[in-house]
Amino acid sequence: MFTMHRYWSAAFAAVLLTACGSDSTTSTVNTSTAHGTLVENPPLRIASLNAASLAAQLSANASGAQLLQLTGAPACGVDFYYIKFWTVGGSGETTQSSGALMVPTGAAPTCSGSRPIVLYAHGTQSDKTVNIADPTNTSNSEGILVAAMYAAQGYIVVAPNYAGYDISTLGYHPFLDAAQQSGEMMDTLTAARMALPQTMSSATSDSGKLFITGYSEGGHVAMATLRAMEAAGQTVTASAPESGPYALEAFGDAIFFGSVDIGSTEFSPLLTTSYQHAYGNIYKATSDIYSATYATGIDTLLPSATPIDTLFATGKLPETALFDSTTPVVTVPGNPTLSAVLTGALAVPSDPTNPDTPLFDLGFGSPYLINNDYRVSYALDAASNPDGAVPTPAAGVPLAAVAPTQTLRLAFYKNDMRNGNWAPASPTLLCGGDQDPTVFFSVNTETMAAFWSGLPAGLITVLDVNATPAGPFAQIQAAFQQAGAAQLAFYMSAAGGSLSLAQAEELLIEGYHASVEPFCALGARTFFSQF
Amino acid sequence: MTKFTLRALTAAFLTLTASLAFADEDPDNTFRLGAYAVFFHTSAGYLAGPYIPPGENLSATVKNVQTPYLAYLRKLSTHFTFELAFGVPPLTKAYGKGPATLAGTVPFNGQQLLTSRWLAPTALLEYVFFDDSHALRPYIGAGVNYSMFYDRNITSAGEAIIGGPTRVELSNSVGPAVTGGLTYRLPKHWSLMASYSWARVTSHLHAITTDIVRTDAISFGPTTFVAAVGYSF
Repeated sequence: MFTMHRYWSAAFAAVLLTACGSDSTTSTVNTSTAHGTLVENPPLRIASLNAASLAAQLSANASGAQLLQLTGAPACGVDFYYIKFWTVGGSGETTQSSGALMVPTGAAPTCSGSRPIVLYAHGTQSDKTVNIADPTNTSNSEGILVAAMYAAQGYIVVAPNYAGYDISTLGYHPFLDAAQQSGEMMDTLTAARMALPQTMSSATSDSGKLFITGYSEGGHVAMATLRAMEAAGQTVTASAPESGPYALEAFGDAIFFGSVDIGSTEFSPLLTTSYQHAYGNIYKATSDIYSATYATGIDTLLPSATPIDTLFATGKLPETALFDSTTPVVTVPGNPTLSAVLTGALAVPSDPTNPDTPLFDLGFGSPYLINNDYRVSYALDAASNPDGAVPTPAAGVPLAAVAPTQTLRLAFYKNDMRNGNWAPASPTLLCGGDQDPTVFFSVNTETMAAFWSGLPAGLITVLDVNATPAGPFAQIQAAFQQAGAAQLAFYMSAAGGSLSLAQAEELLIEGYHASVEPFCALGARTFFSQF
Repeated sequence: MTKFTLRALTAAFLTLTASLAFADEDPDNTFRLGAYAVFFHTSAGYLAGPYIPPGENLSATVKNVQTPYLAYLRKLSTHFTFELAFGVPPLTKAYGKGPATLAGTVPFNGQQLLTSRWLAPTALLEYVFFDDSHALRPYIGAGVNYSMFYDRNITSAGEAIIGGPTRVELSNSVGPAVTGGLTYRLPKHWSLMASYSWARVTSHLHAITTDIVRTDAISFGPTTFVAAVGYSF
């Protein structure tokens, strides 16, 4: 018996001795929830593409091939990292957010070593699930764009997905909330700078040069971030906000007075929900703003994992009818003149000399999104506290209204880049297209350019990609216009559906806002390359 | 003619084994020590989960290993024996199977992705032919294999493929096992044996990088060849 025990002991000892050791572990998880804290370090590398693979991936479809023509052949490979970090929501909530750190790689001297950072803010997404760090998702077009435009040309790209998207459990998106979004951009940058030395691409490091850019919503975010970083004493080398709603109060006034932009039925719920969380006074009930058809659940509708077209098709949102086609009759007690002016101003646009009239008319219908009472309350405030840029730009500097009182208009004012009389201290390019039906160029970009017209020469540069080609961006302007002409010709060809000129132009204008984006990105890269 | 030949051969075989038998009766307990040669017959699905490049079909294969064999046998009757067999847990290495590189950059096919030790005790009930008077006794058996993976470590090549430091989990497996072999009794309680066995091992792999989980279902049908010396007491 003793002998048997001895053998068993030896056998188990042999087994147990070999069992010593431990499994490998994943990244270190930082337990702090302070804003700007990188959650996992090193972060996940989603993909590592060399220059040839990136070029091949882009060439695999027509839009990618067009983009490649614009960006030029990738000089570098790109490593795509998925970063998660802590930030603060619109009403001060601690929340996790995520984003991309794209690192150039490769043997070329511009692809490793000390490289500049592009801090990028993406445009509005209705899709809650999109992850800008994921090049394996073909619908992540903006992530692919910035990878090809910047990272593949030697820039480190840092870009948030924004709170309310991807892994964020915030429950809403702080849309056009300048304080929150600029803070989140800075948190993304802090987290990305913590991550970079720990990545598998640590041969590439931060040179200290920082460029800020973004498109559409991201144009506003980029400008707000520039303002916030300058206020915090942080150096920004240069910036390029693109097609953003900077003069937000003026833009809101233009829309409420009938110049309804494409996409407004998507933007409205995002805006009111965002500002309700930030300021708490936009509505007591969503039915204060929204028609009974859409009021229920609209405060949690966007962003959504459900495609926007499905939301339209299932009656969750109207596709274009922001306002009631039966327009209100405004009665201002004791002021029949103002009553008549406002009633006329809120009517369905009918000016046959304005080429945008058919477009604006799409914003009226039934069922509609925003009820007339709310529209009238907004218009009355605009009449009492007029914006300097809308409806007609005032002579000189187009200032925002001093003291709006209607709560949504006040929220616009608070997030209007004219508010506070701030001006960039570093070179800034404002890029856009003057026919933009989504974010009006004249109301936003030109208003800001006029607002800053007194700044030293060279500090503010405006690039209208639709203007007559001239100056340092002439090639970009010419390329944009050639692309538009080619697209128009395609729509009118048999392959494109043999559309009439009017139909083709309508399609072109519907896609105009998106079509400007890569050209403005190239403009931004050209601009940054000077520094 | 055929029947006669078979009978003659059988008689000759019994005579031979009987002549090699020793007079003393087999003790009830036997301890064996030898060598396992493990031939993995791996079939793994494609790695699935977030951020797997579409169409890349990433799979893995495992290289064969050799390891010491330990076993305890308890004689239940003249013809039935219970065996509890262990292999000293071998370091098992998984290699990438699929495209040469991912996205033209990260080497994949043939790269060593992860290592793991594999503790796989097997309990077998064996039927032993002939009786104790025969020195050479063939046997067959069936039972249960329990497999547990530990010391799971992803390599730097594996990290590059999967995106960073990764914790690997491989679920334990319970599956059938069968065996067949021969024992040859030597003087003084010693014996020699050789066997060929098969087991079914099914495990689910979870590769956790940050909090991103990728999965794969791995099936082994490992066959093992064992040569060992036994001591009975």
